[in-house]
Amino acid sequence: MTPQRLKIILMYVKLYRLKIIVVVAAIIVLVFAIMGLMSLESFYRNITLAQLPIQILLTVLSAFIFVIMYLKWGTSMMAQLTTKRPRGKFVQVKWSDVIGMEEAKREAWEVVQLIKDRAKVKKIGGKIVRGILMIGPPGCGKTYLAKAIATEAGIPFLAMSGSSFVEIFVGVGASKVRKLFKQARMLAEGYGGCIIFIDELDSIGSNRIFNAFGSQEKDSTQNQMLAEIDGVQEKEQNIIIIGATNADEQYLDPAMLRPGRFDRKLYIDKPNLQDRERIFEYYFSKIKYDKQSIDMKHLAKRAVYKTPAEIENIVKEAALIAARDQREEVSYKHISEAIERIEMGLKHKRYMTPKEKEMVAYHESGHLVVLYLLHPTDDVFKASIVGRREALGVVYHQPREELFTKSRDAFLADIKVSLAGFVAEKVRFGITSSGVASDFWTAMRIAHSMVWELGMNDAGLVGDYTAIPETQLSDHTKETLNNETNKIFQKCLKDVEDLLIKEKVILERFVKELLEKEELDYDEIEKIFQEYGKFHAKDL
Amino acid sequence: MRRAVALIVASGLLFAVVTGCAPTYPKEKVAESIVRLCKKEYKLDVKVATIGKTVAIYAPLADLWDPMFALTKHAGEELNDIILSISRVSLSTDADYKFYVVIAHDTRLPEIQIIIVKAVEDVKRFMLSDISRGEFSKRMLIDKRISPQAKKEHAIKEVFEKMGLDRKWQDAVMNDFFRSQPASLGDIGYWNGRFYVKDVSLPEFLAEQIAARIKMEFFEERKLADAVLIKSTRGEYVSLAGKSYFQIWVSAESKTFGQTGTPAMSNIIFKNSLDVIAAVLHGYRFENYEYIEITDEAAARSIKVTKEMLEDFRKKKLTFDNLLSQTG
Repeated sequence: MTPQRLKIILMYVKLYRLKIIVVVAAIIVLVFAIMGLMSLESFYRNITLAQLPIQILLTVLSAFIFVIMYLKWGTSMMAQLTTKRPRGKFVQVKWSDVIGMEEAKREAWEVVQLIKDRAKVKKIGGKIVRGILMIGPPGCGKTYLAKAIATEAGIPFLAMSGSSFVEIFVGVGASKVRKLFKQARMLAEGYGGCIIFIDELDSIGSNRIFNAFGSQEKDSTQNQMLAEIDGVQEKEQNIIIIGATNADEQYLDPAMLRPGRFDRKLYIDKPNLQDRERIFEYYFSKIKYDKQSIDMKHLAKRAVYKTPAEIENIVKEAALIAARDQREEVSYKHISEAIERIEMGLKHKRYMTPKEKEMVAYHESGHLVVLYLLHPTDDVFKASIVGRREALGVVYHQPREELFTKSRDAFLADIKVSLAGFVAEKVRFGITSSGVASDFWTAMRIAHSMVWELGMNDAGLVGDYTAIPETQLSDHTKETLNNETNKIFQKCLKDVEDLLIKEKVILERFVKELLEKEELDYDEIEKIFQEYGKFHAKDL
Repeated sequence: MRRAVALIVASGLLFAVVTGCAPTYPKEKVAESIVRLCKKEYKLDVKVATIGKTVAIYAPLADLWDPMFALTKHAGEELNDIILSISRVSLSTDADYKFYVVIAHDTRLPEIQIIIVKAVEDVKRFMLSDISRGEFSKRMLIDKRISPQAKKEHAIKEVFEKMGLDRKWQDAVMNDFFRSQPASLGDIGYWNGRFYVKDVSLPEFLAEQIAARIKMEFFEERKLADAVLIKSTRGEYVSLAGKSYFQIWVSAESKTFGQTGTPAMSNIIFKNSLDVIAAVLHGYRFENYEYIEITDEAAARSIKVTKEMLEDFRKKKLTFDNLLSQTG
């Protein structure tokens, strides 16, 4: 028996010592029971054996009654104390399976190398990586990447959610942390290393509260976590703690981020255009699809700001729709429908009077025309007068590429698009409906933000005035800011009115099309505008 | 891990079940086992004989009787030990024994013997709590009597002496005429190194039990005991010319002057006897009979009750008066 094998056996003995004791005790009891049974005369032995089924039944019945009673009355008190032991396992997520986060993968690879070449790092006096913090929006593959690191490093992976440490009783969370690290130490002893992955780290890693009323349960859990991480460092065990959070770094306690703890940070952002294309290719490789109609590049463009999880959801939803339509493969139509369903919700047909329907058609056509002709960044993918969720109609648009800043023109275009529904109703009917409420709120909010926060006004009031308590602002300043806000609002209103009067023919055409078809897709919309020699504002 | 535990438990149970089937006392070694058990565990020397489905044990005991001819405490315990030994063996054997008979006597007075007859089935039912301790003891036949063989031998010896016959023929005469196997339970005994045992049958056991229990009923029930004195009871199962029936004789006298032999007295005897008979036969689920005949010897009056009438009487579908009117 090799020393390594012996180590693994010893590790299992330590890890499952309670189970081993129970099994050995059970065997001893069984042997004694059989010996006892054998010492009986056959009549008494037969009586005992004959009673065995009913005794087992009664035992099971009483255990069942106990469990029912425990679940009914005992759980509120005791279940909070139970701790589910995380099971260390070897995960099988290949490095090549992690797609759509090339930048993060490069950094993570470095971590893998550091885990593997631990001896080398120590030899040259380098610092062993202990804690890695993965930060990024949900659904971007943080857990997946952590598993891939464990697979590549060839060590067991212990995963727990931060929220599972949170308990109502002080000390229970800390005890769970102790158990987790104890198990990790055993696994590290047997396999030469172990990765602890704590998802939603913010649930236990957020800033601690120090006040006269004492600490919270979360704080004691966090303190224990910090102590355990330091303990790992002191004992020089090959345990790597990977934390993942959707929250901003600033919400985490500084003690968590200091060197020696979660000092290595991996930012895992939403995928870019190329990454999205690869993600689509990856998920489409798992299903049958129409290669003629589906263009990955086009889909990647449509899925701006989408996370890998959302893209996976789109493809799965499309497969479901195709199956429902009795199709052998997924086509672009199904993908399109899946995106709409996820983004806009399921269609919900409501009965509307012809007058109402016409008004909704004018409202949505107004949004559509202004968006297409004036918006510098967004593409229109759909216009519809079929109800979805609370809305009676919708014009679905989104940026054609990731933009991390927004220009004044884009803000103004957003305001104009929001006001276009109101103006269209007014131009056609002279009156307007209640459907404009949310549009006004959006437009007003953008205009207010431009003037009050971003310095986009003509009065020379530059700065974020929302940072100052309103009571400390002079009436003059407030009045000026409000006037500037109104000026932007009125100017946009005028521009939209002028545009819609000018393009009344196109507006009427879209109203007619919507009343006939109820929904217009990207291609149909493009075609109609091209008929009138109009092009998207972005192309001008 | 779970599979290993399941496997261990399953194999343990299988082993226990398989080994549990083997009898502790194989039928070839029943007699030997009883002798060994009594000797080893209770230091008692017994002799065992089997006939048909009946096992007989002979146990000579020191100080069986006290000066009042009652069982001594010590002897009672020894008898219990013997009964326990034979019960253990008869329950844990593959031999199909139905009854066992214990014959004990005081070593000082071998002529006076105590005979105990028990059904193995009753022992089993008692062990499984299917019958109560009281019912179990009522189902046991226990009799204290002078050995019929001893009586016969004394009588022959006396005849030989009185007539001055050559004694060398004495043993031959006894063998030819008086040492035959017993015809009824009353003849069971042990005398001069020889078992006088018959294979006990359920009907005759029941007949004896009914007789004994009727006597016991009239003795134990305060009202009955105050009114009636049972002098003797006998029971017999008759199976003749395709007819099977129980015949019970009750000899009793009234404790009230002038009532002995009256119809009222007979009715008390009949009614209470019927209660006992119905309970016993139902208790053994015995149905191989056509009727019961009860005779009040003092009144020279009998009633015949068919099996169906007895069942109705037991179920209280038929009152005693109705039953009496139907039996004439």
